[in-house]
Amino acid sequence: MSRKRKLLLYTLLLVVLIISVVAATAIGAVAIPPSETLRVIVSRLTNWEQLTQNIPETTVAIIWNLRLPRVILGALIGSSLALAGVGFQGLLRNPLADPFTIGVSSGAATGAALAMFLRQLTGLNFTHMIPVFAFIGAFIALFFVFNLAKIGGQVPVVTLLLAGVVVSSFLSAVISLLMVLAGEDMQGIFFWLSGGLVMRSWPQLWFVAPYLVIGFLILISYARDLNVLLLGEETAMNLGVNVEQTKKILLVAASLITAAAVSVSGMIGFVGLIIPHAVRLVTGPDHRILLPTSALVGASFLVWADVVARTVLSPQEIPVGIITAFVGAPFFIYLLRKKKKEIRL
Amino acid sequence: MKIEISDLTFTYGEHAVLRGATFSVPTGSFLGIIGPNGSGKTTMLKLMSRLLKPKGGCILLGERALEEFGHKELARTMAVVAQDTTAAYQFTVEDIVLMGRAPYIGRFQSETTEDYRIVHHALEITGCTHLRHRAVTELSGGERQRVMIARALAQEPQVLLLDEPTSHLDIGYQQEILDLVKKLSTVDGLTVVAVLHDLNLAAYYCHELVLLHQGKIKACGLPQEVITVENIEEVYGTRVLVTPHPVFGTPQISLLPGILNRHKEQKAPHLHLIAGGGSGGELMRDLNEAGYYLTTGVLNVGDSDWEAARALDIPVIAEVPFSGITEERHRENLALVTEASAVIVAEIPLGHGNLLNLQAALAAAEAGKPVYLLEEKQQNRDFTGGAGAQLLAAVKEKGIVVREKTRLYQLLKDEYPLETFGVEKKGAAH
Repeated sequence: MSRKRKLLLYTLLLVVLIISVVAATAIGAVAIPPSETLRVIVSRLTNWEQLTQNIPETTVAIIWNLRLPRVILGALIGSSLALAGVGFQGLLRNPLADPFTIGVSSGAATGAALAMFLRQLTGLNFTHMIPVFAFIGAFIALFFVFNLAKIGGQVPVVTLLLAGVVVSSFLSAVISLLMVLAGEDMQGIFFWLSGGLVMRSWPQLWFVAPYLVIGFLILISYARDLNVLLLGEETAMNLGVNVEQTKKILLVAASLITAAAVSVSGMIGFVGLIIPHAVRLVTGPDHRILLPTSALVGASFLVWADVVARTVLSPQEIPVGIITAFVGAPFFIYLLRKKKKEIRL
Repeated sequence: MKIEISDLTFTYGEHAVLRGATFSVPTGSFLGIIGPNGSGKTTMLKLMSRLLKPKGGCILLGERALEEFGHKELARTMAVVAQDTTAAYQFTVEDIVLMGRAPYIGRFQSETTEDYRIVHHALEITGCTHLRHRAVTELSGGERQRVMIARALAQEPQVLLLDEPTSHLDIGYQQEILDLVKKLSTVDGLTVVAVLHDLNLAAYYCHELVLLHQGKIKACGLPQEVITVENIEEVYGTRVLVTPHPVFGTPQISLLPGILNRHKEQKAPHLHLIAGGGSGGELMRDLNEAGYYLTTGVLNVGDSDWEAARALDIPVIAEVPFSGITEERHRENLALVTEASAVIVAEIPLGHGNLLNLQAALAAAEAGKPVYLLEEKQQNRDFTGGAGAQLLAAVKEKGIVVREKTRLYQLLKDEYPLETFGVEKKGAAH
């Protein structure tokens, strides 16, 4: 893809994302015209007070304190999951890999469930308690998966996937047990597990943003190595890639992104699986284009998925994970059927 | 760049795959590694490309040990074309070849025009220029293999390693790929090491060969030194004929059918043939076909009659090449003579080395055993200065001299009827 076309693609996707964010902020139980929404956002971002002169305080508050952080957080989570998906699929050279296969999200979910359980049981509580527990859970899971998969100092892809599946299954059992023990509070855990952005605001946004940025920078700087890795690990070694080290770095980077996303939004499935495949159909397998494009598309996708989650059964909200699964599963089947042959990276 | 390998060993768990291999590859040479499945060929190549770490021994690349090279530095020195090139990704040919530049490009750099120039050159010499915008998944096996070689060349290596580069290709592509590789070594001075499955291709293309057998080097050197009947038979356990290529003289292998000489089991009449120097080949073929149980001896290894006996799976008492018959072989020969119903003496040239064969015939004649002497050409064939002729005359006196092969066959047929044998066989079938 030529530089000009790349630039055009990124610009287009960025414009789509900005429009999506503004539109998604405007949509809600109280409909606010997009022009007013845009004025509030711009005025707040630029400290240009006159712009919001004739807009009621409550509207400004709804937009700035409730809807906008949630929409932006949705965008961040969406791009995180898509990025992590690209990372895991490329790293594991497996089209079915996503943040969930490797056990990292299960680890995060177990951590979060444990936090809720402890909070109920002991009254222990502190800021970001659930995200912090989720984060720790994710990395404990990664540590176990990694060491289970390790054979003589190397981490073969097949054993990594197997270890991921085993650890995930085990952790699902742990979560089920916690839910049973939690009794009344079960619905809280269940709701969190289904994945959602309800009641999320600026603090969660600032919590997740740095990890996403760091993870993205690591992944994009290893984009060429990811490309070479697609030719097989031995070929990659012959092409001068320090494969084992690269795998570790990429694994940690993708897990970091996943852990951060899951820790604030729960288990939002299919984004990490579907977005990379859909984007690959357009851009081809080159990770230097695939990574930024997937991040942008993933962001817009989750913004709209959350809009549906908020509005479709309004005033009742449904977890956004249900929406992504409803959209993602049929799309995945469509991809499988359409290509008929094996899904390629 | 020169490669030196000394005392290389490797084990997979308990299993020793390589047990001390030493050889070197001079700059610009094309060395082929051959050997049966499981002999350690691919392991050898993986050790050379540093995909595996040797248990012992060392590999020198130029003047330096292989393990001293940095990851990218090694990729700039040595390129590898792997055996399996099935592609599960949608990269274009140009993308793939451009990846050969990866060891030259920093993490935050992008490809320069110089990189593109090198890539286009690599595409050109491998004949892939017209394919450059195609996806690798759409290519045929031969095209994909050429693309992989182009990618390797884009690394601008001094050493090229190939693992069975032609194993899944038909003969036209095999030739195309190996012609290209050969040219890279002879013209461009690239040091090439290839694992090859096809012995004839290996003998035809490689400057030198290394024959691996159970993790050890069985033979190493020029193709004609390595591809010999004994080596191939010992290593591959198969019956072959090695003949020089009709045009270039490189050794070529012809497979022989695994004929089982069943004539002994079927109790066919036993004839012992005394031959040598090409005098017995036709007799062997004819008598064997007729259904006699034929044995022969003593013949020197490498003698054309020895080749014929082996080719026809006729039991042969063999002496080391270019040596006179030793007492030990003579005794073995006498044992077969005693066992046989009759002895046939072909028109052998007589030298000091094989007079014992005539002695064996004489012993048979003196013991009252029929001895048939073939005398078709009737020319002087005594190279012993009299002793041979004298001995021959003594044998002739007690034996039966026959002027024509057909006559010999007729006599044998009358004396040792094969019909009985045929009828018996029929009877046995009922």
